Amino acid sequence: MRQRTDGATSEGLIWGLQRRLLVMLFLPLGLVGMVSVFFHYQSAGTAALQQDQELLRLVPLLADSVVVRQGRPPPPDDLDAESGLVLLLAPPVQEFLREREGFAAYGVMDGSGRLLLGAAWLPAVLPSTEGAEFLSVVEGGITYRVVAQRSATAAGELIVMLADGSDARQHWLETVWIRVLLPNLVLLLGAAAAVAWAVSRALRPLIDLKEAVERRSPRDLSPLDTDSAPAEVRPLVVSLNRLFALVNDQTEVQRRFVADAAHQLRTPLAGLQAQVEAWAQAARTLQATDALGLRVDQVLRLRDATRRTSQLANQLLALSRADSVSADAQPMEQVDLQELCENILALYLDAAADKHMDLGLEAQPAQTRGHAWLLRELLINVVDNAVKYTPSGGRITLRCGAEPVGSGDSAWIEVEDDGPGIACDEQGRVLQRFYRLPGTQAEGNGLGLAIADEIARVHRTQLQLDVGAMGHGLKVRVAFAAPQPPRTRTR
Amino acid sequence: MRLLLVEDDVMVASGMKLGLTDAGHTVDWVGSAERAEQALERDSFDLAIVDIGLPGIDGLELTRRLRGRGLVMPVLILTARDALHDRVQGLDLGADDYMLKPFELPELLARLRALLRRSQAATSAVLALGPLEMDTAQRRASLSGQPMELGPREWTVLEYLLLQAPKPAAKDKMLAALTGWDKEITPNAIEVYVSRLRAKLEPSGVALRSIRGFGYRLELMAPAAHAPAD
Repeated sequence: MRQRTDGATSEGLIWGLQRRLLVMLFLPLGLVGMVSVFFHYQSAGTAALQQDQELLRLVPLLADSVVVRQGRPPPPDDLDAESGLVLLLAPPVQEFLREREGFAAYGVMDGSGRLLLGAAWLPAVLPSTEGAEFLSVVEGGITYRVVAQRSATAAGELIVMLADGSDARQHWLETVWIRVLLPNLVLLLGAAAAVAWAVSRALRPLIDLKEAVERRSPRDLSPLDTDSAPAEVRPLVVSLNRLFALVNDQTEVQRRFVADAAHQLRTPLAGLQAQVEAWAQAARTLQATDALGLRVDQVLRLRDATRRTSQLANQLLALSRADSVSADAQPMEQVDLQELCENILALYLDAAADKHMDLGLEAQPAQTRGHAWLLRELLINVVDNAVKYTPSGGRITLRCGAEPVGSGDSAWIEVEDDGPGIACDEQGRVLQRFYRLPGTQAEGNGLGLAIADEIARVHRTQLQLDVGAMGHGLKVRVAFAAPQPPRTRTR
Repeated sequence: MRLLLVEDDVMVASGMKLGLTDAGHTVDWVGSAERAEQALERDSFDLAIVDIGLPGIDGLELTRRLRGRGLVMPVLILTARDALHDRVQGLDLGADDYMLKPFELPELLARLRALLRRSQAATSAVLALGPLEMDTAQRRASLSGQPMELGPREWTVLEYLLLQAPKPAAKDKMLAALTGWDKEITPNAIEVYVSRLRAKLEPSGVALRSIRGFGYRLELMAPAAHAPAD
């Protein structure tokens, strides 16, 4: 769950900047595109004019193409189509027609508008002057630009017509598409790709920095590497490091205070407890209602309260020591978990016997690297918890073992009881300091599992809480990472 | 047993003296290392309880001097300091056990019993637990003063258990102790001897508890019902 949100954040960072850069690029690019489209539109009129001039240029050539069949001079009044008129198209005209096949036509008419040669659909246009006459004709769904002019040909003065159906504006649109819009589009796509690449690349140091900050926890506030940060964010990194240092100092002061307070508490507590214990010992032979000045049951309550206070002082000290180990990075040693479990078993036999419990061991040879005295403290706290909260006659089992993982063996320890267990929704909270399950009867400070978890974290693992094998009770497991070849730290 | 208590804190010392006396020990209490050395020259003690944080010469130095003079009695160190090196140092310098202050009286008594038993076993041939006594020199065992009939393997098992008590004895180690002179012994055979011993011991208030997955422990049954809560 956490991983997922993390990913979304870094992607969000990239996307946000990419979008912004893209918008900032698209706006000017779009503007440039529009301006160039506008100028091209302006040029559309010119294009139409050019078409007319092209037609006009070709008309004399078409007129020159009209020849009279050889050897038979035309009689002046015989202007029949079969009268011997032939077109020998001049190359430019031929080319014009070929280029626009299906969209061009020509026509030659006599002075009265009778078509002598060419396309039958051409309207009869009789220009009254020598000048050319332009008109647009729709034929077969195509709009033709038609020019007609009286011209002197080999067969006398005739009306020569040329029609161009290739729409100049259509033509123009194609030109615009290919010359203007397409390059702009390609440019934009290229820009988007470049922006995506550049943003993710330029932001890499920032994302690295973000991840480095996220890796920090209240237990690890080591300074970030300022060298790998880009110059623009280096002041930010420096400020963050200063903040980390402040928090570290604060934590250290607090830890010292707790350690000192717990330590100072222990001396008077030792005196108080020695007195009360002796009193309680003396009261053993008396009835609960007898009096030593105080009633026996009151003395026993006093003793229990003193024991609890002493335990609290000890646990607070253990907690601050676990904290300081992670801070001081003391070297770890090889710890025999089987031996450790046997020792703790022996330690709790009496307490278990008092409650008629079956305290047992299922130990396989297992070793891990760690702090022996902290692991002992961990196991004591977990077993103490189990003995305290499991009802009389219960069953508690200490287990340890090792499973081959990769290059080495991953050792684990486990304590299972058949007590009331911990509901799933409470499992996170019981690891918090001073949290006690609602309705808990046995005396405790709510520190046991918190200390155990803290110690597990010092060993780069954590407490796993689970339901016991029989479907009830609590199973606490600590699985240690398999030993790895010494890691070279990148920072 | 005669104990020397070296502790400068009056509250702690007077409470401990009261509790230890009540448990049947004779306690001589001194407040400094110098006074402790004087007391040791005058009398002999079965065990010394030494606080580390004494004025002047501290408890660790006292232990070192005491061992230097060839005294072999068990020394239990008391400390409110708990830095790891204190513990190790304490044991290196000849202390036999340590306890963190504050502590519970029953635990202190249990530790003392274990220390005394160990030193007793080292100096005398008689091992004892409540009504049970084993004279390892004459190979005679008695229960509440009555002689006990034990087969040779039963003897070995019981001796091993008694040597370990009040700590539990690991089954595999018992097996190793037995295979010394009987190679065919199996874990099941041990259970046979244990159940035979149990039948002999239990009527006299000595219990032989099975510890699942580990072994056995010899313990005294709680005296019937008159002790409140503890």
